[in-house]
Amino acid sequence: MSVSIKANKTLFANRRISDQMYITLLVASVATCLFLIASVLVPNFFQLQNMLNLVTNNWAVISLGVGVTFLLVSGNFDLSVGGIVALSGVLSVWFAQSIGGANALSTGLGLPYWLALLGALGGALAIGALNALFVVKFRIPSIIVTLGTMMVARGIAQVITQGSQRNTNLPDEFGVLGSLKVFGTSIQLPVVFMAALLMLAIFIERKMLFGRLTYWIGANPTAARLSGIDNAKHITYLYLFSSAIAGVVGILLSSEFQSGYSNRGMLMEFDALVIALLGGIAIAGGFGSVIGMFFGAIILAVVTSAATGLTLSPDWQFILKALAVFLAIMAQTWALTRRNQ
Amino acid sequence: MTSHQPPPVLSVEKLIKDYPGVRAVDEVSFSIQASTVHCLVGENGAGKSTLIKMLTGALQPTQGVMKVNGTTYQPSSTKDARRSGIATLFQELQVVDELSVLENLTLGMEQSRFGFIISSDLEQRVTQTLATIEPSIDPSARVSSLSVAQKQIIEIARAASSGANVIIMDEPTAALSEREVERLFTVIRRLREQQVTVIYISHKLDEILSLGDTVTVLRDGKHIVTKPLSEVAGRAELIDMMIGRSVFQSYTVRSAVTDEVVLSANGLSNSLLNNVSFDINKGEIVGFYGLVGAGKTEIARALFGADKVSGSILFKGQPVGNSPKEAIAAGIALVPEERRTQGLFTNLTIRENIPVMNIRRMSDNGVFRSADELTAAVNYVEKLGIATDSIEKHTEKLSGGNQQKVVLAKCLFSDADLLLLDEPTRGVDVGAKTEIYDIIKNLADEGNSVALFSTELEEVLGICDRIFLLYCGSLESVIINGPNLDTTDILNVVTGGDRGGTQ
Amino acid sequence: MKTVNLMSKSTTFVYSRTALAGQVAQFLRNYYIYFVLIAIIAFLSAANLDRFDLFERGNFLYEKNIINILRVSAPILVLAGAFTLLMVSGYIDLSVGSTMGLSAVIYAMLAINGMPFWSAFAITALCGALLGAFNGLLVVRFKITPVIATLITLSLFKGIALLLVQDGVSAIKSMGDLRMPQWFNAYGREGVLMGLPMAFWVAVGVTIVLIVLQNRSLLGKYAAATGGNPTAAKLSGINTSKIVFILYAIVGVCAALAGIARASFMSLGDPLSGDGMELTAILVVLIGGTAFSGGEGKVLRSFIGALIIMTLTLGMLTLVPAYYQTLVIGAVLLGAAASNHFISKKGQTLSE
Repeated sequence: MSVSIKANKTLFANRRISDQMYITLLVASVATCLFLIASVLVPNFFQLQNMLNLVTNNWAVISLGVGVTFLLVSGNFDLSVGGIVALSGVLSVWFAQSIGGANALSTGLGLPYWLALLGALGGALAIGALNALFVVKFRIPSIIVTLGTMMVARGIAQVITQGSQRNTNLPDEFGVLGSLKVFGTSIQLPVVFMAALLMLAIFIERKMLFGRLTYWIGANPTAARLSGIDNAKHITYLYLFSSAIAGVVGILLSSEFQSGYSNRGMLMEFDALVIALLGGIAIAGGFGSVIGMFFGAIILAVVTSAATGLTLSPDWQFILKALAVFLAIMAQTWALTRRNQ
Repeated sequence: MTSHQPPPVLSVEKLIKDYPGVRAVDEVSFSIQASTVHCLVGENGAGKSTLIKMLTGALQPTQGVMKVNGTTYQPSSTKDARRSGIATLFQELQVVDELSVLENLTLGMEQSRFGFIISSDLEQRVTQTLATIEPSIDPSARVSSLSVAQKQIIEIARAASSGANVIIMDEPTAALSEREVERLFTVIRRLREQQVTVIYISHKLDEILSLGDTVTVLRDGKHIVTKPLSEVAGRAELIDMMIGRSVFQSYTVRSAVTDEVVLSANGLSNSLLNNVSFDINKGEIVGFYGLVGAGKTEIARALFGADKVSGSILFKGQPVGNSPKEAIAAGIALVPEERRTQGLFTNLTIRENIPVMNIRRMSDNGVFRSADELTAAVNYVEKLGIATDSIEKHTEKLSGGNQQKVVLAKCLFSDADLLLLDEPTRGVDVGAKTEIYDIIKNLADEGNSVALFSTELEEVLGICDRIFLLYCGSLESVIINGPNLDTTDILNVVTGGDRGGTQ
Repeated sequence: MKTVNLMSKSTTFVYSRTALAGQVAQFLRNYYIYFVLIAIIAFLSAANLDRFDLFERGNFLYEKNIINILRVSAPILVLAGAFTLLMVSGYIDLSVGSTMGLSAVIYAMLAINGMPFWSAFAITALCGALLGAFNGLLVVRFKITPVIATLITLSLFKGIALLLVQDGVSAIKSMGDLRMPQWFNAYGREGVLMGLPMAFWVAVGVTIVLIVLQNRSLLGKYAAATGGNPTAAKLSGINTSKIVFILYAIVGVCAALAGIARASFMSLGDPLSGDGMELTAILVVLIGGTAFSGGEGKVLRSFIGALIIMTLTLGMLTLVPAYYQTLVIGAVLLGAAASNHFISKKGQTLSE
C-alpha cells in the first residue's frame, strides 16, 4: 500500500485540469465577461433582479437543455423536445378538462388531475420511446428521427386542440403548479424544478455510473460495446429521460398559462441545442457538461437581454444567436488545438 | 530476361526510416525491373509496410533516395505518387459503389467542356483496358453489384488506364476465394504483358512462387536478398531467408500450466471459419498464429460474443452468451485488434478509461466509486509501467505502447479469467513489447488463461505454451512449444503448404 | 453471364429465378415512387368522388384542382433537385427555409421599389447564390459540421430577413403609396402555359437543368463520388471542397427561386415564409429514395417525391381538417426513413 500512496503523490502532483474543465471554465469566463460588458453598456443591467431574471426567464430551455446535453454527449440529437412540450401540455389540459363542455374544445376526458398529469407524462415518454426505437433499432440518424417525432408530437397536439388551444372547463387546481410560489418567496415552482434538475443532472453526470456510461458511449460506441456496455439500453434511457423532462416542462407551462396551446415550445429544441453548443458540448459525442450548458444559456440570455436593453429590435436575437454560436465554436476549436500543441 | 537492359523502373538506395526507438527500415537498397512481377516478402515487422508507405508517399524516409526511371522521386502524398505513375491497391477498396464501372474507371480523368462530360476516346480506352484484363465485367454495371474481387479488378484497371506503370498490391488476396485468386493472377499476368510492373506483397508463399518474377526478402528492416524466383529453390529457401537465423526470445516451459480445461470450443464456423475446435487450459498461454485473413480475429471475436458464429463455446462448462456483456460477466476479456477504434476512448483520460469493463464493481447503487477509480488508475499505471506524467492525461496523447497498456489495464480490471489478446503488440516499440510479454506471463502464472492472436511468429514462439496454426479459416495443426521447434514447418503450414505433423 | 454458362442446369435455374426476383426488386426500387404517386391520386379521387362542395365537377382529378396543387408546389419543386444533389454529396443544408424567407423579402423590396421583374429576379437569385456560398464557406473553409453550420445560418438569415422588414409590420406588402407592381403576383399565379404559372415552369426548367447536370456533368458525377467514397474521390484528384461549395451555392439559388415563387403566390415578402422548408425538403428527398449517407439519389425522383408530398398534404385537406397536416407529415417522414432503412438493409452486413 505504501507504494501506491507514493505513486499517488507523484501522479497527483502533475494532475492538471482536463480539457473538459478547461472548456467549461472558458465558457464560464466568457459568460462573466459578457455580463460585465453588458453591465457597463446597458443602463440598469447590473441589478440583482436582472441577474436572477437571466436564469429564471429561461427555466424551460435550460431544463430541456439537460436532456439534450446528455444525448449530445452520447452522440445523439434530440430535436423533439419542443414538440413534446406542446404535446404534454395539451394532453394534461385535455385529460383534465371536464366532460360535457359547450363545444369540442372545451370538452375533455374529465380525469382526476393527478391522472391527467400522469397521462401527459406518459404521452411524452411514448415519444421518447419512439425516438429510441428508430435510433437504436432501425439505426436511422437521430437528427432525422427526432425531426420526425417533433412533428408527430406537435401534430398530435394540433389535432387535439384543432390547431388552436384548449383553456376552458379546467379544474381549479390546474393553475397551481405553474404559479406556485415556493417557501413564501417570489421563486416559482418551475424555477425550483429547473434548479433541482440541474443539481440532479450534475450529480448524475459527475458521480453516477449512468453519467460515466454516457461519456463512454459518446466517446467511442464500438469500444463501449466491446467493453460490455449495452449501448442500446442506455440510449433508450437517455431518450426517455429527455422526453420526461420535456413532458414536465410542458405540464408546468400549460399550468402556468392555464391553457394547452399546440404552438407552445416552438423552436425550444433549437434553443436547447444552441445553449448546449455554446456551452462547449461537441456534437461528435463524448465531450461536454451540464454546467457548460448552463453557462451557455447564460451567454445567450445576456446577449439577448442586453440587446433588448440597448433597444435593439427583438429581431436581432436571431443574428446574435448565430454570431454567438459561430464564435463559440471557433473559439473552442481554437482553444483546444492551441492547448494540445 | 530482356535482351537490352533498361534502367530499373523503381529503385531505392540506402533507404532508412526511423521511428522513435525503432529503425523500421534500415539502409535498404534494391531495384525493380520494368514489366515484372516483383514480390516483397518478410515476416510481420520486417519493414515491408513501412517501405511501401514511403513508396506511396504516405511516409517520408528519414534518409536515402528513391528513383523512378532513374530520376529522383519524393512523393508527398498518394496523389503525388499516382502522378509519378505509381498506383497502390489499398486493402480498403477505393471505388465508388454508387457509380457504374465505367464511371469509376474514368473518375478524375474525364474530358469536359464547360463542365459537361464529353465523349472521348477515353471511355473506349478504359473499356479496352478492362476488357483485356477482365472481359467478364460489364462496364455499365453498378459497382455496388460487384464482388470484392471484381471491385479490386476495377481498381487495377483504373490504375492501369490512368497511366500507372507501377501498381503496388498489398495482400490483395486476403479477402478472395481460391477461384478469385486465380482470376486475379491472370489479370496480373496480363498487366505484365502490357508493360506494367507489379509490386506484390503477400504472406502466401505459394502465390509468390507461382506468380513472381523476382523476389526481395526483408528481415528486421534490413534487405536480405533480391533475386529472380527462377533461382529460388522453393518454399523452404524462401522461408529460410525470411526467418534467417534470428534468435527467438527463448521460451521456457512454464510450471503454472494445468490440465484443467477452462474453455472448449467445438465446430466454430461462419463465413470464414471452418469447423474450428480447440481447448484452452487454466494457467496456459495459447497462441493462434496465422496470416492476415486466416481467421484469428474472427475466432477472438466469436469467443467474446462480438460476432455470431455457429458451433458451441463452453467456458467453465457454461455456454458463453452472444454479447460482449455476457462474455465479460462470465470472465472473458478482449483486447481488440484495432486499439484506437475498438479499444480506447481516446478523448478520455487514462483514469476514465480503466474501469469501463467492470462497471458492476465501480457502482454503489448507481453511484460511481470515484475513489476506487483513482486507486485503480494509479495502481495500473504503476503495475503496467504506463509512462505518463499524470493519470489525467488523455489517452490519445500516449504512445502506441502505452495506449496498449491502458487497453490491457481495462481488461485486467475486469477480473477476467481468460484474456483474448488480438495483436497486442502491433505498432508497439520493442521495449514496450517485452514489457507486455512480461505482463502476459505474469497473468498466466497467477492462474489466468491467455489466448494470444498474432501474425508474428516470434511473438507466439516466445511466450505461448501451445500454438494453434491457422490457414484460411481452418485450424490446421497444434504445436506444443519447446526448444527444438522447426519454424520452417510452421511457416509451411500457415502459408498453405502441406500439413505439418501434430506433435 | 459467362459464369452462368459454367453452372449446372439446376443452379442456372435457381440463379435465373433469384435474378428475376432481383430484377423485380430493382424495378420496384426504381419506379415505386411513380406507383405511390398514382396510388395517392387514385385514393384521393375515389375518396372525394361527388364532393361537389369541394370541387366544381365533384372530382379530385379536375383541371383547376391540379393546377392549384402544382401552383402551390412550385417552391418545393424548384428546391428539391438542388437539395438532392447536396445530399448525394453527403452534406445537408438546414438553412434553406431562412434563405427562402430572406430572398422573398429581398425580392419584394426590390419589386415594391420599382425595379423591373427580370432585374429583381436576377438580383434575388444572385443573393441566394451568395447565401448558399456563405454556407459552403462555413462548411469547407471553417470546417464546421454541416448541421451546425447551417443551423447558424438558419438563425442568421432569418434575423436579417426580419430586420429588413420595418418594425410594426410582418411582411413587405402594399401599404399606403407603396404598391406592389401588377406583375408581382402573376409570376406565381397567372397561367402562361397549360394554365400553369411561370413559377411552375421555372421549377420544371431548373429540374431539367439539374437532371442534365447530374447525369452529364462533372459536377453531378463528382457529387456522387464525394458522397459515395470521399477518399476515393480525393485520390482521383477531385477537389471535393470545391464541389461541395458549388453545391451549396446552387442550393442557395434554388432556395431563392423558391422564395420568389412563394412571395409571388402570396403577394408579399414574408420573412417567415420559408419556415419549415428544410423539413419538407428532407422529407421529399427521403421519399425520393436518396440515401442519407450520401452517394445515392436522383433529382427526378425527388421531384416526384415533392409532387407526392404536396398532393398528399393538399389532398388531405379535402378529407380532414388542416390541423392534421403536421402529424401526417411527421408520420410520413418517419415512415419514409424507416422504409429507406429496410430497403437498404439488404446490403448491410453485421459489421458494427
